[in-house]
Amino acid sequence: MTVAQNDAAPAAISVRNLDFYYGAHHALKNISIDFPQGQVTGMIGPSGCGKSTLLRVLNRMYDLYPGQRATGEVIFDGCNIIGPKVNLNVLRSRVGMVFQKPTPFPMSIYDNIAFGVRLHERLDRAAMEARVEDVLRRVALWPEVRDRLRDSAAALSGGQQQRLCIARTIATRPEVVLLDEPTSALDPVSTARIEELLDELKADFTIAIVTHNLQQAARCADQVAFFYMGEVVEVDSADRMFTTPREKRTQDYITGRFG
Amino acid sequence: MTTHPTTPAAQAAPCAGARWQGNSVSDIRRRMVDRVATALCWAATVLVLLMLFSILFVLVRNGVGGLRWVTFVHVTLPPGQAGGLANAIVGSLIQTGLAVLIGAPVGLLVGIYLAEFTATDGKLINFVRFVSDLLLSAPSILVGLFIYMIVVVPSGHFSGLAGALALSMLVVPVVVRTTEDMLRLVPLAMREAAIALGAPRWRMILFVCLRAAREGVATGILLALARVSGETAPLLFTSLGNMNWSMAPGKPMASLPVTIYQYAGAAYADWTALAWTGALLITAAILMINITVRLGLGRNRK
Repeated sequence: MTVAQNDAAPAAISVRNLDFYYGAHHALKNISIDFPQGQVTGMIGPSGCGKSTLLRVLNRMYDLYPGQRATGEVIFDGCNIIGPKVNLNVLRSRVGMVFQKPTPFPMSIYDNIAFGVRLHERLDRAAMEARVEDVLRRVALWPEVRDRLRDSAAALSGGQQQRLCIARTIATRPEVVLLDEPTSALDPVSTARIEELLDELKADFTIAIVTHNLQQAARCADQVAFFYMGEVVEVDSADRMFTTPREKRTQDYITGRFG
Repeated sequence: MTTHPTTPAAQAAPCAGARWQGNSVSDIRRRMVDRVATALCWAATVLVLLMLFSILFVLVRNGVGGLRWVTFVHVTLPPGQAGGLANAIVGSLIQTGLAVLIGAPVGLLVGIYLAEFTATDGKLINFVRFVSDLLLSAPSILVGLFIYMIVVVPSGHFSGLAGALALSMLVVPVVVRTTEDMLRLVPLAMREAAIALGAPRWRMILFVCLRAAREGVATGILLALARVSGETAPLLFTSLGNMNWSMAPGKPMASLPVTIYQYAGAAYADWTALAWTGALLITAAILMINITVRLGLGRNRK
């Protein structure tokens, strides 16, 4: 594996010698990678290569499913988060996640955002309204929904729903935001809006994004990691990765020879 | 709108040439099978509708005469004294209401267990589901006998509460099944999204999953209500029936099905007429519950 040391930014999350198993299937093999603070890390690679799996380790989502386990170290804020004594609810409020398909809850737009906030903070009515407005403005949804905050979130378009889900995730004020192919179910216009949004969000959050769209990785990511067969083949800045990859497998993948 | 000149083909004769006719043996056979099958489907449908409407017709013809004020305000009286069904109607409302109040929460919790705790113990889950399905098809008179043995005999007397308990045992499996089915329709991604926000599991289940499935779950409870409102057998050994006005759940209590059962076999014309009216009332109530369910589901699909 080739890891180019990233310039200045300290790592928000450091993964060291991580192995992951779905039952007997060894899905991640001795992975080490840093997610630099305030940067967008793009994760690319063919289907089944382990990039989504790594994402689901970072917020312990795999804990929902018996038979899935991880060994190694994932250091976040000085603590090995795959260790046994981690408060998962707190971890997930600090490491948020946005999914492939928009997942609005069956409640109003306002309550979709308030749901997550209420889990971790007690805000009075005015503070909650301010929080909701703030995050909706940040995802550029406010002008479209300001008059129908009490309407069902299911009535929004797919792109609007995904922006709502991002707003919901950042409303709990996480430090890291994980995005699992967040635009693969969206049309090009909605995709462009979400990509613009990522650029603004990285000022406040460390972002990890899994994508099958290499152009998207090139456009959005500061650092790109190429995954193949459960290994991290190469990690480098987006510029170098797409112009002068050092590994042959990386070059084959980004030039479309497989995957 | 622009008009296009018709093509030569459109001006030609309709498709009737030799190459348009499927005259092979298999083609003729296929068409015959199709016609026979269609005819059988129609015949079966008409048969079922005929049965249903003949029941409704007879019920209305024989029962509508008893839909008088006195039927609703007067209790059952000895033959020839112009009694009503008030005690039976109220008794039925109390017992089915109590049955749903007792049975629905139990069914809800079991349904949640079956749908949401799949990871804990597969064998136990399968066993519970199997038992619940057995209960769903258990003869209702056995349920009545069971409550008779564990409630009526120890307490020494029949009671409305025992009747409600017997009915609640029929409510539980219906609610279990619909709750589990509806919760399983909630997408996995929605559960994960709630967990990913840092929600503990109980909040995810109560405020996201159950909320997403609420119309279906409510439908299940209404269907259970419809199911038990016509049950007679479980009440025979439990609430027994009561000719007098009584709303005390600790005493024997009248109900429409039991009153119908007693009156329909009687030799007095006024009792038989009241039995028909009672049957009409129950049928109308069940029909109304089902229409409510339909309307609710229709709104949900939009």
